[in-house]
Amino acid sequence: MTRVIRLIVNGTSHEVEIPTYRTLLDCLRYDLGLTGSKEGCGVGVCGACTVLLDGKMISSCIALAVFADGHAVTTVEGLAEDERLHPVQQAFMDAGGFQCGICTPGQVVSAKALLDAIPNPSDAQIREWMVGNLCRCTGYYKIVESIRAAAERSRA
Amino acid sequence: MAHRIVGKPIGRLDGIEKVSGEARYSGDVMLPGLVWGKALRSPLPHARILRIDTSKAKALAGVLAVLTARDLPDILVGRRMFDMPLLARDRVRFIGERVAVVAALDPDIAEEALALIDVEYEDLPAVFDPVEAIKDGAPILHENPGAYDGAPSERPHPNVQSVLRFKLGDVEAGFRASDRVFEHTFRTQLDHQGYLEPHAGVVGIDEDGRVQVWASNKMPFRLKELLSQALQLPPAQIRVNLTPIGGDFGGKGSVMDLPLAYHLARATGRPVKMVMRYTEELMAGNPRHPAVITMRTGVSKDGRIVARRVKALFNSGAYAAFKPAPSVNLGGTGMGAGVYRISHLLIEAFCVYSNNIPCGHARSPGEPQMVFAGESHMDMIARELSLDPAEFRRRNLLRDGDLLANGHHLEHVRASETLEAALKASHWSEPKPGPWIGRGAAMTHRHIGVGFTNARVRLESDGTVTLLIALPDTGTGAHLVLRQVVAEVLGLPLDEVEIEIATTDDFTTDSGVGGSRVTHTGGRAAYHAAEKLKEQIQAEAAKLGEPASSLSAIAQAAAREGRTLEASHFYDAKAHGAVTSFTAQVAEVAVDPATGQVTVRHFTTAHDVGTIINPIGHQGQIEGGLIQGLGFALMEEMKTEDGQISTLSLGDFKLPTIQDIPPLTTVLLEDAVGPGPFNAKAIGEGSISAVAPAIANAVADACGVRILDLPITAEKVYFGLKDTERRS
Ligand code: FES
Ligand code: FES
Repeated sequence: MTRVIRLIVNGTSHEVEIPTYRTLLDCLRYDLGLTGSKEGCGVGVCGACTVLLDGKMISSCIALAVFADGHAVTTVEGLAEDERLHPVQQAFMDAGGFQCGICTPGQVVSAKALLDAIPNPSDAQIREWMVGNLCRCTGYYKIVESIRAAAERSRA
Repeated sequence: MAHRIVGKPIGRLDGIEKVSGEARYSGDVMLPGLVWGKALRSPLPHARILRIDTSKAKALAGVLAVLTARDLPDILVGRRMFDMPLLARDRVRFIGERVAVVAALDPDIAEEALALIDVEYEDLPAVFDPVEAIKDGAPILHENPGAYDGAPSERPHPNVQSVLRFKLGDVEAGFRASDRVFEHTFRTQLDHQGYLEPHAGVVGIDEDGRVQVWASNKMPFRLKELLSQALQLPPAQIRVNLTPIGGDFGGKGSVMDLPLAYHLARATGRPVKMVMRYTEELMAGNPRHPAVITMRTGVSKDGRIVARRVKALFNSGAYAAFKPAPSVNLGGTGMGAGVYRISHLLIEAFCVYSNNIPCGHARSPGEPQMVFAGESHMDMIARELSLDPAEFRRRNLLRDGDLLANGHHLEHVRASETLEAALKASHWSEPKPGPWIGRGAAMTHRHIGVGFTNARVRLESDGTVTLLIALPDTGTGAHLVLRQVVAEVLGLPLDEVEIEIATTDDFTTDSGVGGSRVTHTGGRAAYHAAEKLKEQIQAEAAKLGEPASSLSAIAQAAAREGRTLEASHFYDAKAHGAVTSFTAQVAEVAVDPATGQVTVRHFTTAHDVGTIINPIGHQGQIEGGLIQGLGFALMEEMKTEDGQISTLSLGDFKLPTIQDIPPLTTVLLEDAVGPGPFNAKAIGEGSISAVAPAIANAVADACGVRILDLPITAEKVYFGLKDTERRS
């Protein structure tokens, strides 16, 4: 069974016809060609597929696309404004907050949501918020540093 | 020597695609007409395949092809020893082995088709434990393993894949000369590398028959060779296109699903993408070998090691195919000697067939297992000798000129300085801050990787320089390091050196990424190529007669004569091994006596390193490796029962999260004596191996419980505490 749904992705409206079992992640990646969001675990644990649905973090690998019908989705591709990287993206580059980068789309989306909610987080708040985003490369120290730096940059 | 760019804390300038979601990994490659491949896997650990019925799957709408072993040539694949069929032929040897493969219009249809394939099996007796597997009468996995291509000749039992030995002196005489002899046996667990990008690949066949490959594989040229063998095609017909790799840690060097994707592409006339689900990674990736290691050490009255004998059994699973070394074994077993001078040494490592997931290489292959055993053993002996564990180590550390069992006499040994630095930074000799708190130390050392790399540098007409390289980006930041090297040599700002990623068409060979080699081999190749280009530029400037003329003017002058200023270098580092890098680590842990829960309160890691080219990337390697070591120590475990892995998702197979990282102190003892560019050494595998024994030793110090098998779970510590209570 297929259905036509409307998604507002990074500010642009899309109409797609998809099978009802299609996950939001596959819909973004393969129906819309937005391959920034990644599939790691596929079961809602690793955070590589994190996107914002109406501003709230979700694991798009375990969300059906039909549930997002009519809603706004923000993916990693939508974080930069007018070619200018979001402070979180810039900070991940400056402080070495990624290595292989496969977790990074999810990390920066989660970190943006964090700074939207808590503009000046403590290290403990950073760790609590980011616990759903696994990273195998960095050992996380530089992710904490990156987010701290991004918060400072946003304040400046 | 002061450098302009080498040694500067430059962030990941090369990562704009990664933070913006534009980087295209293999799983992201889309081609016109692309279809999806999926594999059906065996649910049984050892069975004969009686019948496979694919008719229902073939009839499903959207399915383009279904293949079984009968549709494929009878080829065995591997990295060094070729013992694994493309698809199981008549017999399956582990749960997760591929028995059929499907191509369909989308991945969901492909999965639906798998469920429609009917396979009839007949159970065969199976063996799972490596100790059992090498007993007389154990079920045999391969009738004649010695006949496989690349099989080592020594085979004390048909279930032994390989034996690796390191030997110094006369170990039995050493034991006779010892005052006391200690023996302990340790076990380590089955552990996945944990990269978050499952294996992914796309194979397309051009109209002229050229096979185009995009794969999460870190050794493109070796992959081309292996595919040439697996597909029975001339190497020139295959092109491997490099993509970023979403984490490797040793696990991404095989052909994995690529031959199947090729056969599906042939069968369908379409490019085929195969991406493993993480569950498939956990049941059929190529994880770290579990081990059973017995250490026997003879010491003199004054606490000097006289002799050591190590026997390791690695449970290699159903195939040897994933091990790349000529020994078809794990080189890290040499670390059974630790960082100590031992005149009489015998290490024997056996890789053993069993009906489990085939194991492969994982970051510093064999070392975390060996170092856990060896460094736990050291503390246990120190306790018996009533010596401070640090003092016991001090008395036995390697020194300049000492001979290692691999035949190298060591130079620039800084074992003692590294140990003392870690002890000092961790306040080793100060009283512990409270009860149930303990400290543990552990050490290791590691060679600097060898291999060969091609680099080409070109002066562009705008005066910038392009470095062409065929080393894939596994995430380490190596590409940035190489740019730094070229910029330094040529006196350019960093942003005037660009990197261009080659394919396997651009060079003839390259050993690829792995074994802590890239800064060394890639760095030296780039360094010498840049030096050559510099000479050309100087000669050209001299011809122009204006020494101060700009690089773009020089490039354009050459272009007017139809020339491009370009230089290549092939760097081959074969014979190296006299310089290693030492690591000393100290864990401070707290044990909760009510639950057995271990908390790492603080961790200190000290490294004897060469010139650091990029401090941010360097530290990132230390931190990443260390937290992998922490996971290995405390939580990661692929639990297996009768060949069935029960932790088949990242929810059950726990990797460390951001909440698990301890406060960290890093001490770097820089010493510009490495073989890399600007005397760099290696760092990628230096921080992982000593973490588990440091924590195990700290746990023993905190509560008296000695954990002999990893991971160190609360449950094991709790029952250890109960045991101690009962006995006292
Ligand atoms: S892929 Fe969605 S949470 Fe891991
Ligand atoms: S950067 Fe590789 S998993 Fe996070």
